[in-house]
Amino acid sequence: MFDLQRVINDTKVRLCLDCGKCTAVCPVTRYDAEFNPRLVVQGALSQNGYGPVGETIWSCISCNMCMERCNYNVKFTDFIRYLRYKALVEGAEVQYNHGGTPQAIMHIMGRKDTKQNRLSWLPGDIKIDKHSDTAFFVGCAPYFDVLFSDLGVKTIEGTKGALALLNRAQIPFTLLPNERCCGRDLLVMGDIEGFLALARANLNEFKKQGIKNIITSCPEGYYTLKVDYPKFLENWDINVRHITEVIAPIVGTDQLVLGRLNQRVTYHDACTLGRYSRVFDQPRHILNSIDGLELVEMEDNREKALCCGASPWAFCGSVNKQIQKERLAQAAATGADILVTACPKCQIHLRCAQKDEESDDIHQIEIRDLSAFVAQSLLPQEVS
Amino acid sequence: MYPKVLIFSCNWDGWSCIETATSSGFRYPASVKVVRVSCLSRIHTGLILKAFEFGVEGVILLGCEPGNCHFGSDSEYIIKEYKKAQNILEMLGIWKDRLALVQLTAFDGHQFVTEVMKFLDEIEQRPVSRRVRTAVSELA
Repeated sequence: MFDLQRVINDTKVRLCLDCGKCTAVCPVTRYDAEFNPRLVVQGALSQNGYGPVGETIWSCISCNMCMERCNYNVKFTDFIRYLRYKALVEGAEVQYNHGGTPQAIMHIMGRKDTKQNRLSWLPGDIKIDKHSDTAFFVGCAPYFDVLFSDLGVKTIEGTKGALALLNRAQIPFTLLPNERCCGRDLLVMGDIEGFLALARANLNEFKKQGIKNIITSCPEGYYTLKVDYPKFLENWDINVRHITEVIAPIVGTDQLVLGRLNQRVTYHDACTLGRYSRVFDQPRHILNSIDGLELVEMEDNREKALCCGASPWAFCGSVNKQIQKERLAQAAATGADILVTACPKCQIHLRCAQKDEESDDIHQIEIRDLSAFVAQSLLPQEVS
Repeated sequence: MYPKVLIFSCNWDGWSCIETATSSGFRYPASVKVVRVSCLSRIHTGLILKAFEFGVEGVILLGCEPGNCHFGSDSEYIIKEYKKAQNILEMLGIWKDRLALVQLTAFDGHQFVTEVMKFLDEIEQRPVSRRVRTAVSELA
C-alpha cells in the first residue's frame, strides 16, 4: 500500500539536518532516553531505507511537537506511522492497553453490516433536524463512557454540552445512528486496513444521509475527518468544522449569550486540535466570553502545550504516566480550580494519572470538557 | 448447524462441570469451544470483544457459584466486566444477550449442558444472529 520512495518524498525525511531539535523537545525522550526521533529516522534511512528500526517506534505518542520545531518541516509522525505499518505487516507484536478493547470495538465497527445502537444517551430536550445536511459527529464518547466508567470520566457530557450549545444558537444538525469511529487510533498505530474500513463505512453513512457539513466536538475526529479522510478517500467532499470554530464567532452576539461562572480555569490544548489543526484562539475566546471566568495559562501552552501523554491506546507505561503527571503539575501551578480540555481522550488519560496518585494533592485538579463547561454557563432559556 | 460459541471457563467449579458432563456422556454441540482459565477474573472486556471480532456468535463466562470463588475474592470483578462488555455489545448492535454469565455449583454437568443448550437456542432465535453470520462469512 505504501511505497518507500513515496513515503520518503511525502514526509521529507531526506531533508533531516541531524540537528536534533526534535529530540530536544520530544516529551517522550525527556523520560525515556532510548527513544530518539532523530535516530529513528537515521536508522530507518540507512541501508537504502531498509535499516533497522527497533522497538522504539512504538513509543512515539504522535504529539507533533517534533514537527513544530523542525526547520525543514519533516513529517516525523507520518514517517513513524509508515514504519509501524511496515512492522505490523512483518508480524510485529503490539502491546495494546485496556486489553485491546478499543481496537476490538473499532474492528467490529468497521464491518459493513454493523448496525449500532449508539444514541441511547441522547437527552429528550435536544432538538434534532432530521432533514439537515449538517451532521454532528459524536465520535467514540458513548463507548468511552462505558469503558472508562471506573475512572469517573463522563465524556458524553461534553457531547451533550456541544449539542445544547448548537440548539441554543439555533444551528440545525442531525445525528447519525450508525456513524463509526473516525479510526485515528488505528491509523496512528499503522493499521491502515482497519482505518480504511472505518473511513469507507463513515463515508457511506454520510453519503446515504446526504451530509455536506460535519460539526464535531472530538478533536481527533475533527482532524481525521478534515485532513486524513481526503488523503485516503477519493470522493470525500464534506466540510468539517470543530464545535469551537462554529461557536467562537457567535458568542457574545444575540445568537448565543453565555452566562456567568465565577471560576479560575486553565485550558489544556489537545494535540490534534492545537498543534495539528491550529485551533488555539477559538476555545480561549469562548472561555473568555464567560462573565466572571478567569483564564490562566499553563507554563507550556498553545504550540508548546504538553501532550496528555498517550495516544492510540497502546504502549502506555511509566513514561506516559510521567508526562501526564508533569502536565497535571503544570495545571496545579496555575492555581486554577478546573482544567478544561476539548478532547475526551485527554480527559481519560489525565484522570487515569490522577487515579494512580490519589493521595497526591498536586495532581488532583477537576477536569472538565470544554463544551460541557461552556454549556453549564448557559442561562435557562426564556419561554417566549 | 449450531452457532459458534466460546466458553471462558474457570479452572474450578466451571471446569468441573464440563468434565462431569463429558465423563457422564452428556452431549453438547461441537461448535461450542472452551478456553480454560485459572479464574474468570482473567477475562476482561477486551478478550470478550476480541472473540466477537474473530466471529463467534456468543460468549459464555462459566464460573464458580457466587460466594465460592477458589481464590476467595468472590465474583465482583467478573460481574463488573460482564456488565461493561454487555453495554458495549449492546451499543455495537451485537446485543447483550449474546454474552452470558453462568455460575454453577461444582460437578453439575447436567445443568452445564442445559445452560449451553438454552443459550444456543436463545441466540439462534434472534434475527440479529443471521446478520452476524453473514458478517462472519464475508470476513472468511
